[in-house]
Amino acid sequence: MKRVILPLALLATMGTVSVSAGEQFAMSDADRAMYSEMLENNPADIFVEEGGEIFEEAIGGEAALAKFLGVSEKELPKYIAGFPRYIKKLGNVVGLDQVMQAMQVEQGQKKTELKSGKMFSMLAYVKSLANDEVINIDVTADEHIKAAYVLGKKTYMTPRGGRGLSCNSCHSADIVGQVLRTQPLPDLGDNNVAGTWPAYRMTKSSLRTTQRRFQGCMKNALLKVIPIGSKEMVALEVYVTKLAADKKKSIAIPGLKR
Amino acid sequence: MHTKIKCFAYATLFLSASASLCAVDLTKAYDMPDATKMIEKDMFPAAKAYTMPKSCNLTDAKAIARGEFMFHNLNGQKAKGKLPAGLAKLTEKKGKDGKVKKEPKQYGNCVACHDIEGAKGAGNIGPSLTGYKAMFLDTKARDAQFVYQKIADPRIDNPNTHMTVNLTTGLFTEQEICDYTAYVVSEKKKK
Ligand code: HEC
Ligand code: HEC
Repeated sequence: MKRVILPLALLATMGTVSVSAGEQFAMSDADRAMYSEMLENNPADIFVEEGGEIFEEAIGGEAALAKFLGVSEKELPKYIAGFPRYIKKLGNVVGLDQVMQAMQVEQGQKKTELKSGKMFSMLAYVKSLANDEVINIDVTADEHIKAAYVLGKKTYMTPRGGRGLSCNSCHSADIVGQVLRTQPLPDLGDNNVAGTWPAYRMTKSSLRTTQRRFQGCMKNALLKVIPIGSKEMVALEVYVTKLAADKKKSIAIPGLKR
Repeated sequence: MHTKIKCFAYATLFLSASASLCAVDLTKAYDMPDATKMIEKDMFPAAKAYTMPKSCNLTDAKAIARGEFMFHNLNGQKAKGKLPAGLAKLTEKKGKDGKVKKEPKQYGNCVACHDIEGAKGAGNIGPSLTGYKAMFLDTKARDAQFVYQKIADPRIDNPNTHMTVNLTTGLFTEQEICDYTAYVVSEKKKK
């Protein structure tokens, strides 16, 4: 598998703020040294590899996935780079994790839980098949994805929870780069969220997925944490994937995050 | 699973893979938990105007101390050291099962967005509130009522605010909004 090295926007923004970096930012000098080291050797590689093995043995690998999705193996990477998608036989706009669940059920197996580490690993592997592909989600492809995009935008913009915040409160263009308690606020498109998760999250010492990362922000900002795979969660991923597509970002899995 | 067994039977019968004829219904084969109701329940009322209650004592040292503590801390779980009088580390909440559960008390963590005297690791999403009394109260550019409203529900002053809503969401009580107000408008030593 190809190794992907991601520069961290954080590192670049650091010099521009006139406060002592050690005190102001949540990433200490020691953390940054560790980050550079991990760039060489992403701890998530092992999870991705493991995910690949399970995917191969339990579901039948790329060939089975391509067949299930009705594309050739050659077309598969490009097709993966367009998820979440409306999959007719599943009747919904879904993520690749849900596609794998349906494959498991079709094959008479027990489906792996969406929020399990095992599924995170499989998802990371399957998404890594599309590494270097430009994200090509088409949010106008059909009425279903159109509706998902609208729902995603709404979910992103709606303030709720104990503090009355929305995703947009902290990630809107007019506020990106400002500092929230030692952390610069990232632009989710520029930061290529859609192309860099699943990622190894250093502060959590584990592999996390895009939707799991969304849950992290919900929890911190006191928004009720909604479940992985729910319509709104998939829609949120559609919306955030479009942000990366607009910036012509490519898939680079596994990412490495603070 | 029945459909599937039948499916295999047909397939062998006709010696052909009749996948399209007897495909398993996969529309329920994967998880898609409901979040719509969770989000609905998580919504809060539209912008609301408030009048600072007469009971707000802006010079009460204890209120200022509580306001200061809540301004600089995220919640009771992370709060270290002795708490100011009248402030709790935990709150009690009735769970779905009717049992009362203890949860960490949430504070404003205003320092995430605002610099102020003595702040550590302050953010800059909101304006610095350093020297607030001299700059805004003494010059009569603002009054305590403005500050109270801002903290209670900033949407009245700015419908597109990035600031947290603190009273209309029910996270804090009127007294706690008074505490914050008292702290913000108080004279502070340079730290
Ligand atoms: C109170 C502020 C706040 C709110 C509200 C918030 N976020 Fe964040 N978010 C942040 C900060 C700060 C970071 C950077 C954290 C870090 O560096 O670890 C971040 C990081 C992220 C990342 C990772 C970015 C990357 O580079 O990979 C994603 C994805 C994300 N947020 C999505 C969301 C979504 C979706 C919502 C709404 C459900 C949301 N956020 C709400 C403050 C917020
Ligand atoms: C997520 C960011 C954020 C948080 C958290 C936050 N604020 Fe603000 N605050 C702002 C912004 C942005 C403004 C600028 C005005 C506006 O947009 O409403 C502001 C404005 C203010 C003002 C008015 C300043 C002036 O005179 O113009 C006061 C007072 C204030 N905040 C107090 C607080 C207090 C007290 C808390 C905690 C309970 C708090 N803020 C939490 C972002 C925040």
